[in-house]
Amino acid sequence: MTSSLLTTDSRTKRRNAAEARFRAYGLAAIGIAALAIVILLTSVLTSGLSGFRQTYITLEIALPEAKLDKSGARDPAVMAKVTTIGYTPLLRDALLAKMADLGISTTASDKDIAGMISKEAAATLRDLVLANPDLIGGTVTLEVLAEGRIDGYFKSRVTMESAALDSNTSPEALQVAQALADAGVISTHFNWAFLTAPDASDQRPEAAGLGVAILGSLYMMAVVLVLSLPIGVATAIYLEEFAPKNRLSDLIEVNIANLAAVPSIVFGILGLAIFINFAGLNQSSPLVGGLVLTLMTLPTIIIATRAALKAVPPSIRDAALGVGASKMQSVFHHVLPLAAPGILTGTIIGLAQALGETAPLLLIGMVAFVREYPAAYTEGAGLFGEAATALPVQIFNWTQRADPGFVERASAAVITLLLFLAVMNTVAVLLRRRFERRW
Amino acid sequence: MKDISMSESPIMTQSKISAQNVWVRYGDSVAINDVSVEIAPNTVTAFIGPSGCGKSTFLRCLNRMNDTIDICSVKGDIRIDGEDIYDRRVDPVQLRAKVGMVFQKPNPFPKSIFDNVAYGPKIHGLSRSKEDLAGIVEGALRKAALWNEVKDRLHSPGTGLSGGQQQRLCIARAIATAPEVLLMDEPCSALDPIATAQIEELIADLRQNYCVVIVTHSMQQAARISQKTAFFHLGSLVEYGDTDRIFTAPEDPRTESYITGRIG
Amino acid sequence: MWIFDVLFSLPVLVIGLALAGLFGATARAKLACAGDVRRLAALPRAHGSNAFFSVMVPALAVFLLLSLVRLIGDRQGAATISASTVYWGVLVVALLGCAGAVLRSSLGFRARLASEAWIRALLIAASSIAIATTAGIVLSMVFEATQFFGQYAWQDFFFSTEWSPNFRGNSSLGILPLLWGTLYVSAIALAFAVPVGLFAAIYLAEYASPRMRSIAKPMIEVLAGIPTIVYGLFALITVGPLMRDYFAQPMGLGDSASSIMTAGLVMGIMLIPFVSSLSDDTINAVPQAMRDGSLGLGATKSETIRQVIIPAALPGIVGAILLAASRAIGETMIVVLGAGTAARLSLNPFEAMTTITVKIVSQLTGDTDFASPETLVAFALGLTLFTFTLCLNVLALVIVRKYREQYE
Repeated sequence: MTSSLLTTDSRTKRRNAAEARFRAYGLAAIGIAALAIVILLTSVLTSGLSGFRQTYITLEIALPEAKLDKSGARDPAVMAKVTTIGYTPLLRDALLAKMADLGISTTASDKDIAGMISKEAAATLRDLVLANPDLIGGTVTLEVLAEGRIDGYFKSRVTMESAALDSNTSPEALQVAQALADAGVISTHFNWAFLTAPDASDQRPEAAGLGVAILGSLYMMAVVLVLSLPIGVATAIYLEEFAPKNRLSDLIEVNIANLAAVPSIVFGILGLAIFINFAGLNQSSPLVGGLVLTLMTLPTIIIATRAALKAVPPSIRDAALGVGASKMQSVFHHVLPLAAPGILTGTIIGLAQALGETAPLLLIGMVAFVREYPAAYTEGAGLFGEAATALPVQIFNWTQRADPGFVERASAAVITLLLFLAVMNTVAVLLRRRFERRW
Repeated sequence: MKDISMSESPIMTQSKISAQNVWVRYGDSVAINDVSVEIAPNTVTAFIGPSGCGKSTFLRCLNRMNDTIDICSVKGDIRIDGEDIYDRRVDPVQLRAKVGMVFQKPNPFPKSIFDNVAYGPKIHGLSRSKEDLAGIVEGALRKAALWNEVKDRLHSPGTGLSGGQQQRLCIARAIATAPEVLLMDEPCSALDPIATAQIEELIADLRQNYCVVIVTHSMQQAARISQKTAFFHLGSLVEYGDTDRIFTAPEDPRTESYITGRIG
Repeated sequence: MWIFDVLFSLPVLVIGLALAGLFGATARAKLACAGDVRRLAALPRAHGSNAFFSVMVPALAVFLLLSLVRLIGDRQGAATISASTVYWGVLVVALLGCAGAVLRSSLGFRARLASEAWIRALLIAASSIAIATTAGIVLSMVFEATQFFGQYAWQDFFFSTEWSPNFRGNSSLGILPLLWGTLYVSAIALAFAVPVGLFAAIYLAEYASPRMRSIAKPMIEVLAGIPTIVYGLFALITVGPLMRDYFAQPMGLGDSASSIMTAGLVMGIMLIPFVSSLSDDTINAVPQAMRDGSLGLGATKSETIRQVIIPAALPGIVGAILLAASRAIGETMIVVLGAGTAARLSLNPFEAMTTITVKIVSQLTGDTDFASPETLVAFALGLTLFTFTLCLNVLALVIVRKYREQYE
């Protein structure tokens, strides 16, 4: 072979071209992954960010005694007999009065005008009056929720064209709404109620909130933390430090590796069959949900703890044994504290995974519509026994509803969930960086 | 510091490899310090010296394997057959077909013996047909003195051979691309004495067809198999010349210290 | 008064006894050595902790045992032990434990060993929860599935191609349409995830600079941390309409936003990090000597990767793909929201089809009576799913272990 090195022969040129192409494919693959994330986040953000703002109407509502408390006794028990049906006309009258004040005239029917106010508002007003009976006879200024379509109009979801086809509103009503907005009576601003209010019925997306779901998820995370951390760490310590190499520990290890890969829905079946049917625990309770999620999180914590324990060098254990500590003392006094950051990180990551789980919770009954905040402990239901829902289940619930306003709600809830997860994962990473020791 | 003492024997033929003023740095630290050497064809040239003196680093410059290390920078003039191998126009891929390498620890691919040897010719497109390829593989295995031992099991895995056989397989693999230069980086250090003896016998034969440069930390091995020896110390080429002269009458006191075991 | 209810409730009493034992035993030990702890075989606090465990562990064990017996009896409808039996049983055990431990505290008692024996027992108990979980999963599904096969012929379940449950009875409950949907969606997901994940792993392992690696690797991990409900929503509101408007309708293949293609694509995105991470680890584990050998022969980097490294890393890569497949098969939320709930045997990927997992949810959360075959079929489905994924996981494990020895 006497060809010159200074000229690249054609075959080498082709091979170099193939090399460049191959490299490009690799970069393209990473690009596709990046693109997927960007598109996903953009789509969630664009459809969900508006969910954190809500449209309200500021009204001065007259509260005539004749309609609300004929007895004049200002007794809430008696006043409670007036249902929301009695309060709805008051709101309508207040709105019509406001329009007259501002000189807004319209061809829309009174029904359409009344329809601009959320049906939830009557309940809000009623609760307020029952809590403060002395308001009767006067006028109260209140910011009430605008109805879903009006809210949609100000968020560009509803247009004049779609309003013409919609039975819940009309283009005339939207024009009135615009006029009111220009006058400052209607405003759209940030609402905390999205995060604190309970769920609302199908026709009232504007009133639906995550309060119950967040509380339910919180209870479940508490159960998961209290149960899975000790059990998981104990299992890992046993397997890593004490277990003799026999069939039993082999079996346990294979079990854990398998449980880590079992589909989540199977855990839901387990929860239904054993915790609800056999043990008789309450359906849809955070306790059962927490138990099911504990079983799912255990493998994650066990694997993370084992890795953390393995990372502690044998010299530490030898040094402890060398001064006469027992095996258990060397593990609990020396190895475990050093492995703690890794264990903590693994636990946070396990909790984050548990927070996002949906399928198993559906099977233990968390599909139902829950309006009351669950109490942590009640006499009848026990600890964490009251029916609740969870954040991901609420999201799923909302996607199944017909009203298009719920799409925005679901997306906003997704943003909330992602925010929680981002915080948890960032804390985990920061903890790891701060406390990790490089041996 | 006076570094280089060349031997007096006249250079009869054009040098195969000609290195002038070569500097190699890893980041800030200097690994090769202004080395110049002429390596003759059809000769076995041994690089000797204590650990860390730079002989492997210099060897790896000759087939541009140092390119794979990011922090390594090479300066100077290295020519093979008069062509500067660090010229912009030179593709290392082509260079390495011409300059083969055998490593310290035998590293056969997890493929069959046949596929191991056939790998080089295939990627460089050296064979025109299957029979051609089989012929190249047989030729390489014969030259590496391995053919008789493996001819009946060419399709069994290369990793199933003994240490010495694996190294001969690696040599066959390197020879299969029909190189003109063979670089060997301590090829026997991971082998037992019998396998070492077989490899050394092989190297003695190889010099008929190839220019062989071998790095070794065994002086006895250098004395046995090489015609020329270069002594490296702390990144510099201290002395270079005919092997018998280096080992019987070294000119530089550092060479003498190394050979008599006072340093290294 | 509520405070007495709390005081006499079991947990408070037991913990109280445990603490009493702790202080009692510690005091007794200190007394026995007359102030000089060197005379004791174990530190006073070891006596104390031994007493604490002697109360808590047996009490907990007896509580669980008696409750289990009570529950089983309840379910069988047979006469069983009452709640007060459980209460007194646990209390008596706790008292005995407390008394026993306090009395044992003496000069020569090796309390530390006793304490550590309790701890060891607790560790083993914790470890057996993993086995208990698997046992629970298998038992519960087998039990209910047996009930199901008692009411519905297994041949019809496994071989019928029609799935149409009818709450009035006389349903067709064939698994084949669901199995088809499961396999179809997983195939599409893998067809997308495997090339993308593998090439990403190759690039990160062989070509990327350390800086790029430190940005790209966590970014891909983000995809793994996103909950499936989020992917489901993404499929529902973005990918579904996109597929319908730009692919299905122009091609005349359907006008449903819910389709196998939608769910498959989104699932593929979710699976990218699974394939990529595990492959990345395997590729990095291939010894540098292999690369040097190949480069030394004059091969380009891509030739080295294609002909030396990937074949060497293949077992690990195959394992990664199998694990990703297992994940795809068990996925629920992306399919519910992306592909819908209609059981159908169709070749058209732009049609709505559904999977085994989705039907498990719909059959168990429906209104049908629990003991009817329409509800019990969910357990049979679950058992099938579990067996399938178990086999895939075990296969992945075996392949990785067996071929890893090749070079170590």
